[in-house]
Amino acid sequence: MIGVEYYVLLSMAVFSIGLVGVLTRRNALTFLMSVELMLNAANINLIAFAFYHGNLTGQVFALFTMALAAAEVAVGLGIILVLYRNFRDIDVTVPTTMRW
Amino acid sequence: MEGAFSYAPAIAAFPLVAFVVALAFGKWLPKKGAIPGIAATAASLLFSLWMLVAVASGETYHETLYEWTAGEAASEVGADGIAFSFGLLIDPLSALMLVIVSLVAFLVHVFSLGYMNAEGETGLPRYYAGLGLFTFSMLAFVYADNLLMAFMFFELVGLCSYLLIGFWFRTRSAPSAAKKAFLVTRFGDYFFLIGVVAIAATFGTLQFAGDQSFVAAAETAIDDGATLFGFDAETWVTITGLLVLGGVLGKSAQFPFHTWLPDAMEGPTTVSALIHAATMVAAGVYLVARMFGYYALSPTALAIIAFVGGFTALFAATMGVVKDDIKQVLAYSTISQYGYMMLGLGVGGYVAGVFHLMNHAFFKALLFLGAGAVIILMHHEQDMWKMGGLKDKAPVTYWTFLAGALALAGIIPFSGFWSKDEILYDAIIVGLEEPVILAAYAMGLVAVFFTGFYTFRMVFLTFHGEPRSEAAEDPHPVGWSVKFPLIVLGLLALVAGVANLAPVAKLANVDITFLEHWLDGEYGAIEGLTYGAYGELLAYETGVIGTEQQTVLIAAGLSLLLAFSGAGLAWKLYNAPEPVAHKERLGSAGTVVEDNYYQDEYQVWLAEGVTLPLARVADRFDQTVIDGLVNGVSSASLFSSSWVKRIQTGIVTNYAALIVAGFVALLLGLGLYGGWF
Amino acid sequence: MMIEALIAVALVGALVTFVAPNRVAGKLAFAISLVPVALSLWLFTAFDGSGNALLDGTLAFESHYEWIQLGEYTISWFVGLDGISLPLVVLTTILTSLAIMSSWTPIDERESQFYGLVLFIEASLIGVFAALDFFLWFIFWEAVLIPMYLLIGIWGGPRRKYAAIKFFVYTNVASLLMFGAFIALVFGLGDAVTSFALPEVTDAMLNGGPEGFFGLEGTTLASVVFVALFIGFAVKVPVVPFHTWLPDAHVEAPTPASVLLAGVLLKMGTYALLRFNFTMFPDQVEAYAVPIAAIAVISVIYGAMLALAQTDLKRIVAYSSVSSMGYVILGLIAYTQFGVGGATFQMVSHGLISGLMFMAVGVIYNATHTRLVTDMSGIADRMPVAVGILVAGAFGYMGLPLMSGFAAEYFIFFGAFGADFAYAPLFTGLAMFGIVLVAGYLLFALQRTVFGPYRLETDYEVSRAPLHDLAPMFVLLGLIIALGVAPDLIFEMITDAVDPILEGGDL
Repeated sequence: MIGVEYYVLLSMAVFSIGLVGVLTRRNALTFLMSVELMLNAANINLIAFAFYHGNLTGQVFALFTMALAAAEVAVGLGIILVLYRNFRDIDVTVPTTMRW
Repeated sequence: MEGAFSYAPAIAAFPLVAFVVALAFGKWLPKKGAIPGIAATAASLLFSLWMLVAVASGETYHETLYEWTAGEAASEVGADGIAFSFGLLIDPLSALMLVIVSLVAFLVHVFSLGYMNAEGETGLPRYYAGLGLFTFSMLAFVYADNLLMAFMFFELVGLCSYLLIGFWFRTRSAPSAAKKAFLVTRFGDYFFLIGVVAIAATFGTLQFAGDQSFVAAAETAIDDGATLFGFDAETWVTITGLLVLGGVLGKSAQFPFHTWLPDAMEGPTTVSALIHAATMVAAGVYLVARMFGYYALSPTALAIIAFVGGFTALFAATMGVVKDDIKQVLAYSTISQYGYMMLGLGVGGYVAGVFHLMNHAFFKALLFLGAGAVIILMHHEQDMWKMGGLKDKAPVTYWTFLAGALALAGIIPFSGFWSKDEILYDAIIVGLEEPVILAAYAMGLVAVFFTGFYTFRMVFLTFHGEPRSEAAEDPHPVGWSVKFPLIVLGLLALVAGVANLAPVAKLANVDITFLEHWLDGEYGAIEGLTYGAYGELLAYETGVIGTEQQTVLIAAGLSLLLAFSGAGLAWKLYNAPEPVAHKERLGSAGTVVEDNYYQDEYQVWLAEGVTLPLARVADRFDQTVIDGLVNGVSSASLFSSSWVKRIQTGIVTNYAALIVAGFVALLLGLGLYGGWF
Repeated sequence: MMIEALIAVALVGALVTFVAPNRVAGKLAFAISLVPVALSLWLFTAFDGSGNALLDGTLAFESHYEWIQLGEYTISWFVGLDGISLPLVVLTTILTSLAIMSSWTPIDERESQFYGLVLFIEASLIGVFAALDFFLWFIFWEAVLIPMYLLIGIWGGPRRKYAAIKFFVYTNVASLLMFGAFIALVFGLGDAVTSFALPEVTDAMLNGGPEGFFGLEGTTLASVVFVALFIGFAVKVPVVPFHTWLPDAHVEAPTPASVLLAGVLLKMGTYALLRFNFTMFPDQVEAYAVPIAAIAVISVIYGAMLALAQTDLKRIVAYSSVSSMGYVILGLIAYTQFGVGGATFQMVSHGLISGLMFMAVGVIYNATHTRLVTDMSGIADRMPVAVGILVAGAFGYMGLPLMSGFAAEYFIFFGAFGADFAYAPLFTGLAMFGIVLVAGYLLFALQRTVFGPYRLETDYEVSRAPLHDLAPMFVLLGLIIALGVAPDLIFEMITDAVDPILEGGDL
């Protein structure tokens, strides 16, 4: 029986990797992958605590998150395609026209 | 005769119907609305005469017909409800006035056939509609039984005056004159409305007659020594009386609100005759007579009325002396004559004032219609210096005009003499005891001289001598519709004085003062609204010079002497084949008089030199300070947002960093606050 | 259910008009708007309420359903009419109908959206006057703003964006202040209230008042809320010095929007003042009587002076509205039957008269394409009937007897002259000077524009106005005269609803 704190530590590590990816990388695809990492970090937490509490709520939530993540990837990739079409680049710092 | 009064509302209703018919269908009617107008005023005249007969047979009528609204309102004297209503009050005074108004209105409608219809004028339906509406409002004003109803129709006649003065709206001068007339009278009506509101709030009633009248309530309050709105009762009655007087001065063109009347001559001459001579201008004086009981309670108010009247009589008469336009002369004489009426009422001469009101209505309508006939003869020329010699070419116009002129100048035995003399007599007997009244009397007396002068200057310049223009050599003929009203009014100007031969009565000791008996309620009367009742309220002492007979003779002799000398001077100066102007002899005084003592200038200055710049300043203040503040708030927020918005870089990474930083800061903050560290 | 039907007809009508083709939208919207007119007139004849809606009166056409439970507080759909709101509802429906007809000529683009928005405003306005639950009322109150913002911003004149944003932001900030104040009041009342229903709040205010909230004592809280509500509504009225949005909005707005803005939207402010400030806070009314009376007098005189300085006909009428609304405030603060009743009467009367004036000015503008006094003269020569109505309307504005304006002003003056607060007669006398100034600026404007020799600086041929432009003005003129001759048509029901307010003041 592995204590819940190890899962939390794992989740934290995954989340941090994702976060660093979001903050430092400029490639939109990497960006999207980093977001996926953070979502999965949350999933790890949900499942770990579901196991810890002995009920299924967390697992159900995790399933929802996965479905959501799939949808998000679809939308995200679409955005990236449009981005590429308009700016001939998938560097997220290039398109800054959506501000004031 | 009881049943007669149930038809009383019809007197005002007939002209109202004529108004609607003329306005809606006038375009398609044969005489463009004249026929319904004539028919309606004729019917009103007949019904008014019927009322007169009914009153003569001893009946009076005081009935509330329609409740406008009613409600609760605590008044100063303790009543806790008030009803505003429309009702009729037919007593000797209003019955007499109804006949005067409807008669003059009828004659003016007939005259209009010759004056307006003959000239290919456009907009005639509008003209006849205006006359109809005016006649309706004026008649309703006359037999109103309460002050609010009186005020309402008082304002409506002002509207009609505005519309009719501005009848020729395509000119520049007529709309301007119309505006001035309405504005100046409105200024007076402002005080009048405060007066109405104040009286209603004080006494809880606005009735003219009966136990429930504000006059009776005021009398009770004075007797009880009540305090009303922080003043003792008599002072408050004076204040409210003077407020109402504001409206009177405005409508009756008394100093300082007289300036609109000469300008009002821009309207058609028939309108001048009906509205600006015989009836609407009389509304002010009539109102004083109608609520005379209220003024009788306040010696101060009466003295002010008398003094303003005497002053206006003289003031306007001097201005009439130098005018060249025949209508202008008549306009100033109208102002002057209403001054006499005010003087008469102010000295307690209720009968004299009403008597002169009646006579003046006849002879001044006559003079204006005569002037209208002259204007037709002269192909629309109004300058007297271009006339002359019309005497032989238009005998009917001449003789009737002369009758009016003699009445106006106050030459025995024409009607004007009797009433003016009675006013001056009433003034002198009071004046012997009261110096203010004596001053008013003196001014009124001097005005007689000027009246005689300008009247006959006008007659001589217009009708005598040689024709001084082509138009005067070949006058345009006038028809029966012009002559008929002139003849009727000419006869009245000659004989109307018979109604009250007071000096003869006093000298010969015969009982021929019919009007005095009429107004004293010897036929029918409403209690409290009689000459006798007013006499009891008046606080005036009277004196005599020698005996009463001697006083009568002195007063009459003085005024006749002055009238004759004024007329004589005019005869000497202007009864020449080729009269010349004598204005330069007056020197600088002449300039001042010709410029109307700069009365117009200062009133225009008040409007355009004070109010308008003030309005512009207010506008600038509004645009810069108040709106500037509002716009300032918006610029301030726009400015600060132009800095704050820079956080939005458009780079997703920055947003993510901000989110993280915010989250960490939140965690740290909560942690510190919650004591985790 | 009649009120719901009224609102629903207007709302559905708005939706139908939105999707209708532009060509028929005007006629269609007019036809639809006749239904609420008929319904409201039926309400007027079938009215069986008595007393004041907030003070245990018998409500007519009441309906009350619980809607949302929010913590301890219930929000309900609660509508009903009393003698104050019914005349205003009738005014709204009639004026909307006439405004729609009067826009057939000037509106020539995106008609279906325009008429849809007008009908949407109508629905919201009826809601404002009928709602008796604060939340419901507030929803309608705000719902009026958006379509009006669009009407000014899309169909307005050259500076329409500035005017629309100014109008929207100004009134919205005021709403925020008012909303916050009222919520604070409800919380301050504590356990005494369990809903936002206005009668319940009123009852709690008159029997005990607030306990205190946010560190404020009960009475202080009441005063603060009173002032905040007053300012919030004063912007809407508008009262000097919160009036500067009005002339801009009016000048830029298309004619029918001006008609509704002056005719009904301004009355929302005075109506709310009467419903909130003057019904729930009798003690504060007494305490602040003199400053409020002073504000009223300043509004009257200052507004009239501003009108005197204008050369744009619409600006003149707009500023004169500020002046006329000053009379309403004076009547309210008088706190007598004739004062408050007259103020309510003036709301209706001014709605009709200012509607008429804006329509008449609009008809002249349609023909001349200018509103500047200096650009024209002698228009009466070419458009006699329209000018005749303009003159009649102007005299109505001046308070000519036998027209509704006189009745309203007279009631207010009479009510205020005998009011209890200090120097009431003096304040009344000063405010009455407005009747001279109003005559001054209107007659001056008339003299220069419609009379005199014909002259026009713009290149348009002026001819007689079409009948569908004149017809709404004739209807309004008829109503104005009818109310002037027989004020008791509505004054009786108004005083019936006003009396309990004044008695509430004696508690």
